[in-house]
Amino acid sequence: MDPTRGAPRQIPPGADPTGEGRAPSLLVRLLTGVGVTAFGVLLAWAILSLPPTAPGLLHEVREHLPRSGTKSMVTAVLINFRGYDTLLELTVLLIAVLGVFVIRQGSRVPEPPPMPLGPLAREFIRVLAPFLVIFAGYLLWAGGEHPGGAFQAGAILGALGILLRLGGALPDRAWGVLTERLVLTIGIFTFAAAGLACLAWGETFLTFPPAHAGAMILLIEATGTLAIGLILVLLFVGGSLAGTPPATPRPTPEAEP
Amino acid sequence: MNHAPVLVVLLPLLAALTSLLLPYRLAPWLFSGCLAGVGGLLIPLYQRLIATGVFRYRIGGWGWPLGIDFYLDGTGFIMLAMTWALLAGIGWYSLAYFRGRPAAAHFWPLLLLVWAALDNLFLTADVFNMYVTLELLGLLSVALIALAGTSDAFSAALRYLLAALGGSMCYLLGVAMIYSASGTLDWVFLRTVLTEGPRAAMALALVTAGLMLKSAIFPLHFWLPRAHANAPAPVSALLSSLMVKASFYIALRMWLWIFPGVLHTHVAGPLLGLLGAGAILYGSLLALRQDRLKLLIAYSTVAQLGYLFVFFALSMHPEDVTPALQAVVFFALSHAFAKAALFMGAGVVQRTLGHDSLDRLAGCAQRLPQIVFSFGVAGVSLIGLPPSGGFVGKYLLIDTAIRERQWFWAGVLAVGGLLAGAYVFKILARAMADGLSPTFAPHLASITAPSHVLPDGAPKAAGDTFPAPATVATGPTAPTEGPTTSFTPPTTSAPDPGISRHPTPAPPAAAISAAMTAVPAEAAPPDRGLVWSTWTLAMTAFLLGLLALHPLQMIAIGAPETGPRLPGSEILK
Repeated sequence: MDPTRGAPRQIPPGADPTGEGRAPSLLVRLLTGVGVTAFGVLLAWAILSLPPTAPGLLHEVREHLPRSGTKSMVTAVLINFRGYDTLLELTVLLIAVLGVFVIRQGSRVPEPPPMPLGPLAREFIRVLAPFLVIFAGYLLWAGGEHPGGAFQAGAILGALGILLRLGGALPDRAWGVLTERLVLTIGIFTFAAAGLACLAWGETFLTFPPAHAGAMILLIEATGTLAIGLILVLLFVGGSLAGTPPATPRPTPEAEP
Repeated sequence: MNHAPVLVVLLPLLAALTSLLLPYRLAPWLFSGCLAGVGGLLIPLYQRLIATGVFRYRIGGWGWPLGIDFYLDGTGFIMLAMTWALLAGIGWYSLAYFRGRPAAAHFWPLLLLVWAALDNLFLTADVFNMYVTLELLGLLSVALIALAGTSDAFSAALRYLLAALGGSMCYLLGVAMIYSASGTLDWVFLRTVLTEGPRAAMALALVTAGLMLKSAIFPLHFWLPRAHANAPAPVSALLSSLMVKASFYIALRMWLWIFPGVLHTHVAGPLLGLLGAGAILYGSLLALRQDRLKLLIAYSTVAQLGYLFVFFALSMHPEDVTPALQAVVFFALSHAFAKAALFMGAGVVQRTLGHDSLDRLAGCAQRLPQIVFSFGVAGVSLIGLPPSGGFVGKYLLIDTAIRERQWFWAGVLAVGGLLAGAYVFKILARAMADGLSPTFAPHLASITAPSHVLPDGAPKAAGDTFPAPATVATGPTAPTEGPTTSFTPPTTSAPDPGISRHPTPAPPAAAISAAMTAVPAEAAPPDRGLVWSTWTLAMTAFLLGLLALHPLQMIAIGAPETGPRLPGSEILK
């Protein structure tokens, strides 16, 4: 039995809301086990009964690929055919960061400083950093024809930021509040602006004209890469790296042990 | 205004992003601008819906099955209008609630994003896009609950996050099954494409289980009371009125539009109905047992959500589901207004009195007459008395049950109304109690009582639960003075805090002044924005029943089994 799957149900349904930390009774655990097992068996049965060749949309995607502005099917689906989903998914990532900001604001617990790395590791990061930037750019560009694109390139940029943070090269208050907010939102702004530009052409939202689709997709992916990279770094750091905004003072350093 | 459907989503979304870049003092202005803008966009949507019926909007221009479409019918429009009206009320309230507080910097962008996500949900025709919306709403709820900044709120937010993730994963798995079985994700067309079999059954089970977890239906409601009770008041109102309706809305689409054409859903409908009945009884009984106002209201949400699921038992009849659909959508609508007003009122009480303990609400009616009036009026809607919106919703549900000769469900609905009456009157009785009586009367009654019980009670009164009155009460504490002027309450050792508050043997004048300050008269009166926004939403819930006719006609537009079997087909050609 997978213990994580039953985890949210460990509170018995009738539990008193103040009864936190109480171990669930044997009956509840037994019922949870039986329920999860039955669920797994049913799921396996349903999945096994799926036809070997799913009636997917591969044919449709191939048919419309020439008009999508990209040669990669994944990119075409992500940015063009179902670009609206991706626009909202970028918003999901932004909200995750906003949630971290909220929690950091209310928290009185100071973040422990990152573990110091040795000189060898720091030197290695210094050598690696420019290559990671180039690699991210390559992945972004390659997304036009092969698997790749904004999410992969953004993940590389995020990894670079994490390495820099661990190596001590990315201090607190590394940049201004406005810069940080601008980069966080620029992916969604560009995406929405590109979509709204289509209205000027007399099309519906996000209907890229085939002649300009390639350039628009590249622009959307480039700005998306920046935003995703920064979002991943901020999620790792667990808070803003911007200078202190005047209205919301940070916890003072003497609170640290 | 051909692009009104997508602009309704984009306007709040872009305003939220802009508010992150501008000084946060400007955020309420952006919000007001959005209210005007979205309100203006809803008018052409309404006109088009009335003139031509349901319609589609193709995002990306690809259309079904490749792209994502928006699809608007009467139910969707009512939900959009409800979102607009409630956010107007909650925004008005939040303006006063968050004034001068650092949380405001975070609150307004999040509120605008909630708006965009809800509008998107009620417009999209794509079940995967609905999943993305669920993720948006889930993460937004976590951030909004955490705005309270207390450790209770953090733990409630984390618990909600785990529950929401579980629910979303279940839903996503179901959507994956739907897609692999049918090759399309558009809920309007799914009923024609999907075929019967274990896949469809499993998909429906997964989707329903996930949505039940997210909308806190009875055995899976464990996360709701703490999350809704620990959030800041405007957030509680938002969560209890709109957020839980989001996942119910998806369930409605699944059970009424997609799967009746595919599966024998009438077998499973009564099961959901039984869970709903359990929620009504269990939630109401637990609401009666609470001693905190916000927890009582939160458990009332658990109970009221039960009605929404009892509907699934009533709707599983092949002839015509429109009356039942009208009933449940209207019920959801009026519950949203009533519940938002209750939580907002609870927020005012908490601000003014410094607590929301039901046992110490005495005198509330004198100090906060509009708020207690709002409690009463919103409570009327929860109970289901005329002319409130809740009455129309509940009446139509019972009417459906009786016409289908489903006496059991009619009985459940009636009992639920009685229980709702019990917990609403519990609030009202405490709030309307005379401010002096629970503290002062025992003193008079116990003039001759022995005073040796004093040492038991005195430390308790000076304890941490009553910081403000205790300083007044314990000031003249000198047990040696006791025997001469013994105003000691007879039941000092009882746990009732209202009585054990003044165990000191003070002279009568001091006792009176202490009793007066027990209802903290020194606190400033609440902000007028807080009071009147609450009052407005409560009155809306109360008078909604008088305006019910037109919304009910709207809901029937595009209802399943009316008109063509496949709503929207005439547009797609």
